[in-house]
Amino acid sequence: MKYIGVILLVWFATNRSGQDIYICKNAVVTLYSKAPIEDIDARSDRGTSVLNTATGDVAFSVPIGSFKFDNALMQEHFNENYMESDKYPQASFKGRLTSKPDLSKDGSYPITAAGIFEAHGVKKSCTIPGVITITNGVVSLSSEFMVACKDHKIDIPKLVFQNIAETIKIKVTAAYAPYK
Amino acid sequence: MKRSLLIIALLSTAGFIKAQTKTDSTTTINSTDSLMKTLSAPQKGEPVIATFKATRLILSQTTETVKKKELNFLVIHRFGDIGGAAGGGKTLWGLDNSSDIYIGFEYGLTDNLNIDFGRSKSEQLIEFGLKYNILHQKTDNSVPVAVTLIGKTALKPYHVNTNVYDFYSNRFNYLAQAVIARKFSSVLSLQVSPIFVRTNLPYPFLAGNTHNVFALSAAGRLKFSKRMGIVLDYVHPFSNFRDNSVNPKFYDGLGVGIEIETGGHVFTINFTNAEAISEFNYVTNTQSSWSKGQFRLGFTISRIFDFNKKHKSN
Repeated sequence: MKYIGVILLVWFATNRSGQDIYICKNAVVTLYSKAPIEDIDARSDRGTSVLNTATGDVAFSVPIGSFKFDNALMQEHFNENYMESDKYPQASFKGRLTSKPDLSKDGSYPITAAGIFEAHGVKKSCTIPGVITITNGVVSLSSEFMVACKDHKIDIPKLVFQNIAETIKIKVTAAYAPYK
Repeated sequence: MKRSLLIIALLSTAGFIKAQTKTDSTTTINSTDSLMKTLSAPQKGEPVIATFKATRLILSQTTETVKKKELNFLVIHRFGDIGGAAGGGKTLWGLDNSSDIYIGFEYGLTDNLNIDFGRSKSEQLIEFGLKYNILHQKTDNSVPVAVTLIGKTALKPYHVNTNVYDFYSNRFNYLAQAVIARKFSSVLSLQVSPIFVRTNLPYPFLAGNTHNVFALSAAGRLKFSKRMGIVLDYVHPFSNFRDNSVNPKFYDGLGVGIEIETGGHVFTINFTNAEAISEFNYVTNTQSSWSKGQFRLGFTISRIFDFNKKHKSN
């Protein structure tokens, strides 16, 4: 019986990574681009994220249809003409932190994550900078990066070219809760 | 014996654990994946957007409404007959004439409720209307169609030398309409619409004509690119008077066109036998026929102006 106890102990010790999973169901994702006629500015608070601090795995996903624009017509065009959200309903990032900071103490830790960013059905490998912040044991992550429309086959017709910037700034903020 | 067996068992389990830690990274990726899948499962019943690109097709209004604090400015034009007695080279195939011109404004009181105003050349008709998108189609098909209700009042203000307008109320006309539309895919949207028109002075003013006309319209759009599509629009009035009338003869309205969206504008370039643009006129009084060359070029320009406050950076 003693041995079985030891085996179970070893088993739990090696599987402890399951306790280091953090999730977020209301990550805020914003899009911003400056253009000569109208700035594009949209926000979604329906992003989801999983962060595994043991392995460094990090994943983000946001429903394209959940982005809210001030201009309803712009929102419709974003979904209908550019992102084709009925065909490609999600944008996502799946990757791994290149270095694992010590997250046991409060503080801000600059990190980079290498992985695959997918939008408009096109996958592109990329490295994204970010910051993990620990405040009173609560883990949060924020990141800001640029995405070029042409990298994801998002066509901008000549006729409306001036309305749309060719690169979009994306900001992501997630406050995590431990996954039980 | 017992002890050695246990040691073997322990060793083999240890080896298993080692193997387990080796595959640990892949299994956690998988668990991250499956966790992400459950977290980001699409929410049920998102409203379907952009069933149509504009509030108008050719003859019909669509289920679409102008969103809150946006103004839709409409210019709709119908030229003269391309063929037949009034067409041909002498009128540059109808381009010299305008059988009807409509200037309209539609404003979003809320995302679903619009107040509309418009004026037609035909019958000098001035109309006020309310349009309410009562039901939105949902992506999970819990609501399979969008439904929009339209109510309008129209006034004919022109001078006459007869006594038909001695009662001022004879100048008023009313319309009630339900538009039922479904976006079958990003390419195909169809709608049907029962229409009820009440003319206080039967229009056209002929012996035997009735005050009330019930009609059914059917329309659709087939997109062939993200911003362009073919539109088809048809209306049939259920009226014994119109079916039996020989002089004049009445016809069903039928239009075919191309819709082009360029950002803030939606253009429709179309051909239709109906001379008039307002339901009050074309439902009750379409006397021109495709088969006699009495169809015309027409266009609709729809331009949205946004009166929402400019966004401050978040």
